Amino acid sequence: MRHQAAAQHVEHPLNFHVQRRWAARLGHRWYRHLFDRFLLLPLGAAIALIWANSAPESYFSFTQRISFPVNEIGMAFFFALMTQEVVEAAMPGGALHSWRRWGLPIVAAAGGIIGSVSVYLAFVNASYQSVLSLGWPVACAIDVAAAYYVLKAILPRSGALPFVLLIGIATNAFGMFVVAPRHLVLATHVGGAVLMLIAIGLAGVMRAIGIRAFVPYLAICGTISWFAFFWSGLHPAFALVPIVPFLPHEPRRLDLFADPPDDDATHHFEHEWNVLVQGILFLFGLVNAGVMLRGYGAGSSAVLAAALVGRPAGILAAVGLAVLAGLHLPRRLGWRELVVVALASSSGFTIALFFATAVVAIGPLLAQITIGALATGVGALLALGAARLLHIGRFARRSAEKEGVHGFQPESR
Amino acid sequence: MRRLGLALLLWIVVVGGVAPGTQEALPGRPDSLKFAAIGDTGNGRREQYEVGEQLASARAAFPFELVIMLGDNLYGRQQQQDYVTKFERPYAALLSAGVGFYASLGNHDNPANARYAGFHMSGARYYTYARNNVRFLALDSNLMDPAQLAWIDETLKQSKDDWKICYFHHPIYSNSGRHGSNVQLRVILEPLFVKYGVNVVFSGHDHVYERLKPQKGVAYFVSGAAGELAKGDVKPSAETAAYFDQDQSFMLLEVAGDDLFFKAMSRTGRTVDSGLIRRQLTKATGTL
Repeated sequence: MRHQAAAQHVEHPLNFHVQRRWAARLGHRWYRHLFDRFLLLPLGAAIALIWANSAPESYFSFTQRISFPVNEIGMAFFFALMTQEVVEAAMPGGALHSWRRWGLPIVAAAGGIIGSVSVYLAFVNASYQSVLSLGWPVACAIDVAAAYYVLKAILPRSGALPFVLLIGIATNAFGMFVVAPRHLVLATHVGGAVLMLIAIGLAGVMRAIGIRAFVPYLAICGTISWFAFFWSGLHPAFALVPIVPFLPHEPRRLDLFADPPDDDATHHFEHEWNVLVQGILFLFGLVNAGVMLRGYGAGSSAVLAAALVGRPAGILAAVGLAVLAGLHLPRRLGWRELVVVALASSSGFTIALFFATAVVAIGPLLAQITIGALATGVGALLALGAARLLHIGRFARRSAEKEGVHGFQPESR
Repeated sequence: MRRLGLALLLWIVVVGGVAPGTQEALPGRPDSLKFAAIGDTGNGRREQYEVGEQLASARAAFPFELVIMLGDNLYGRQQQQDYVTKFERPYAALLSAGVGFYASLGNHDNPANARYAGFHMSGARYYTYARNNVRFLALDSNLMDPAQLAWIDETLKQSKDDWKICYFHHPIYSNSGRHGSNVQLRVILEPLFVKYGVNVVFSGHDHVYERLKPQKGVAYFVSGAAGELAKGDVKPSAETAAYFDQDQSFMLLEVAGDDLFFKAMSRTGRTVDSGLIRRQLTKATGTL
């Protein structure tokens, strides 16, 4: 009886301990939600926008102090994690292993790049602000995580997911190739190339002697590589990319962006790494997304038009030509689904912000382009709207249930 | 009654003559540096030509030798013919009299305009020159990259001139509704201006005339209405010392020793603001 009373006392919803546990569970659930869907960056961006528009002087003083460690050092871990995930996904048994899948997405990526860059430059020239031309790489950026989660919500477990991932990876790889040597540095040093060879050689030796921990690769080879990139006039945020292939790997059979299970040494380090990168992405959003909204200008519209019109049109045109030339669409991916895929890839957000800071110096032009990059987030809404309009994926199931007909059925594993 | 009328007339002449914003303040000393400032000019419209005519007639009484251009020197299409219709013809009288135009780049300017001989930029986005005891720095506020910042720091550090004047397109202090202050640029540039004792800063971009109260010892002017006009755009704040946003405008300036005299004039030739800036104590030179 006393035991029952005690139990009732503990379970009572007004009990402080129950409330605290409930709050902790809710907090943890929200944190996991933000963490798993790469939402810490948009959160940082939202804080930055509010801060920059309410107390601009304190915001810009703050960002001036921490932009270098965040953009030039911290983001190296983000690009390294992206590279690690792509390398693992491309391993035998990985989600992107089959190279036969790469043909059409690369054609689509090329079409998207041509389409977005053409629209960007046409817009800039039509508005007679050719000084904005240097921002064209920003038009190439695809926020792969945003595209992935939008499509996962619309077309879960369909061929659209690897398709959009490959488009995003190919497009961003091109953008990184363009952006890296245009980094805004004061001077370059000849010793950079030698340091790069030392970093890669050392990573090779570590791999050969079977070092399984990530830290020596990142701390020793990564640091040398960072100085090599910086001194060579390359963007040091890409410094870990050549080191990553030497790290221990386990093939990724699950989602590309899922935090791996903490079941062995490699996955443990990846888990820790993921936590670090999420924190860095929050800071990245905080440092780079803060713009005064009245800085909107032709650059904003150009980035937006390139992402929302140029890229989807380019992707669809390129896929159309490729199909005419004999390539095949992925299984269970029709033209209606392809429209949604093309729109889902229109968000540039994270990568666009990064490319903007890499190629455009501080000033009003950067503010214009940053506003455009942030605004490309509406691409996700357009994709959802198009899916609803075209009765694709989840929306097809609902309409099919209502109409009593069979719509698109997602591929089962 | 007649005495009262004379007294009233005398009062109007005396008080009206020294009222802020209307004082005819250019002494025109023979050994001084005389120059003009124009911003956001090159639209090729009638108003730009009328400002050009006003500049030419002002030069008859006030023989300035150079004009600083505060960006957006050409709007719209920028081909060979546009240099003629949007720059050479509106200022033909000044150009033929040998007045030099020293431009800075605005967001509407094609970066290739830096190679146009009439702008005296020698192909550079940012550059410096000196006249008499005045050091001018023309900056590119479109892209404030690390190389330019290092150059500004070094140029100001090396300068032994009495006066240091910087000009660029985007204002770091402005109370216009359309654009206003660029705070991100301010956070970067202001510490350099204060550290090296820059005396005066001119900008355009906002299509109005505004004189700011000195900020941390530096005088700021926005003069971006020599072609374009944003009528009624100024929302004066506690930082505003004077403004004019009802018509196109330009500035005439004279540096004589430790004094800089300025006068802002409208397209119709009316003086809309005038005054004097005394050179402040600078950390760099330690002189008055």
